[in-house]
Amino acid sequence: MEETGAVFRKELVSKLLHLHFKDKKTKVSGDALQLVAELLKIFVVEAAIRSVRQAQAEGLAHVDVEQLEKVLPQLLLDF
Amino acid sequence: MEEEEWSEEQQRFSYLQRLKAAVHYTVGCLCEEVASDKDMQFSKQTIAAISEVTFGQCENFAKDLEMFARHAKRSTINTEDVKLLARRSHSLLKYITEKNEDIAQLNLEKKAKKKKKLEDENRNSVESAEAGVEESEN
Repeated sequence: MEETGAVFRKELVSKLLHLHFKDKKTKVSGDALQLVAELLKIFVVEAAIRSVRQAQAEGLAHVDVEQLEKVLPQLLLDF
Repeated sequence: MEEEEWSEEQQRFSYLQRLKAAVHYTVGCLCEEVASDKDMQFSKQTIAAISEVTFGQCENFAKDLEMFARHAKRSTINTEDVKLLARRSHSLLKYITEKNEDIAQLNLEKKAKKKKKLEDENRNSVESAEAGVEESEN
């Protein structure tokens, strides 16, 4: 896989997770945050690459929502 | 009173919008990288849709992680919980486990560096103190 420069910032990941915790006392370790950020990055890159592959299979010049819709079910099953 | 409640709800809404904007920004950057790599452009709507899905996926991640930690009778989520999150795909689990080891290694090196720096500083201060003693003796 290519080296990616963009990453999810730890602060953002922390806020996103705390938004959905039922117990307000739940905490997240720093290493775990970094790992979740990595997981989210893989999720996004995977969504993008699978959509590109779908568009290529359809012989299109660019990716539209339709291609994402076609690859989304399997993507969500993989995460 | 009623007005206050309304503004609180509005505040929460704008906070959510800000988080979504932050996710959208990162997704945009990542898609840009994929686009230049694969030589294929994404429509704006596609990037917005991926952002929305990612934001939604965070809810699943957060709820799973919280339950994993509670199952282990902990209130702090650690890397073991995150590894469990990647259980559905073999290659993903392998990648996340490797990444975890990388992060642990990096932390170890950082700690060693910090310790060394601290020791150096201590030695320097001791030496300067000794020098000071010698000077005062003379």
